[in-house]
Amino acid sequence: MPQPGPVADYLGRLERELSFDLPLAHRVRQEVEDHLWQAAAETGDSSFEAQRHAIRNFGDAREIASQYAALSLLRQARRSGAIIVLASGALYLAMKGRIAWYGLMQWVLSDHLQPVGKIVLAVDRSAYILAFLLGAAGWAYISSRRVAPRFDAGCRAQLRRGLLLAIAATCPMLVSVMADTVVTALRILEERPPVSIFLIPLLSIVVEVAFAAVLVTALGKALRSTLRASSLLSG
Amino acid sequence: MLKGHLDMIVLAALSSGPAHGYAVIQEIQRRSGGAFELPEGTIYPALHRLEQAGLLSSRWTTAESGRQRRVYALTKRGTRALSDQRAVWRRFADAIGDLLGQPGHATARPGR
Repeated sequence: MPQPGPVADYLGRLERELSFDLPLAHRVRQEVEDHLWQAAAETGDSSFEAQRHAIRNFGDAREIASQYAALSLLRQARRSGAIIVLASGALYLAMKGRIAWYGLMQWVLSDHLQPVGKIVLAVDRSAYILAFLLGAAGWAYISSRRVAPRFDAGCRAQLRRGLLLAIAATCPMLVSVMADTVVTALRILEERPPVSIFLIPLLSIVVEVAFAAVLVTALGKALRSTLRASSLLSG
Repeated sequence: MLKGHLDMIVLAALSSGPAHGYAVIQEIQRRSGGAFELPEGTIYPALHRLEQAGLLSSRWTTAESGRQRRVYALTKRGTRALSDQRAVWRRFADAIGDLLGQPGHATARPGR
């Protein structure tokens, strides 16, 4: 249980300012707590005045949180960008694997599914290409940014651009995954082949959906953190 | 100016061995003769940034007080980076030293 007083108040404030990244907030709190008590003890006692002196030397909680925010949020945005590129690769391999399997099994779309299949596949292909191009552009953009010294207007603008590109890439990627799922489901429901035949296409769809879910989760986390940091540290 | 070289200063302070944040600050003040006045809290985001860049590693230890303490150490990459930055800084300092040490060069030209 922390002792009440200036150090405890300061740590609480710092943790609140860092609440856009809870594991980071916890780590920083522990680290800073050790620092402040050690600094206060250097003066010979741990009186409130000694604690206030240590806090003054340490600096403003918001300013320090702002420096952490620039690093933490850029890292999250970069992770989202890397996941988009990985997901693009996984989707490509899943699609190619499925098509190769259909060829090997000589499993063609039935005549009455052909028109629907053509439309959905055209949408799928366009969505995938768009997702890949936007994702690669977003990843290249955010990877090439240097860590800003603090979470200032320039840093926020960089993150906004990177995350907008990531969102713009994720939307067509989800369309592509949905299109693949629809076509595969139609094939399976129409033909009702044995499990040994449809297991590979089904697994390829599971892989696509899993990557899409990981991407949406990571992007959602990066967005929430950025918005929370903006509301906490702006002004 | 100091902030622009903060990473190099932190790496240099850790070149004598692993240390926690407070000890890094004390080492900077000791080696610089107290010349650098920087809010102490600024060191911690720098340590975190250098760790993310792979130049430092860190681990939790327990201090005598019983509190958790994060101890940082230079990685091989960090040692190389410090060596590179030292070389760049020496070239820069030599060039500035030469420039400031020869004021006659700056004043002779307008009279020609």
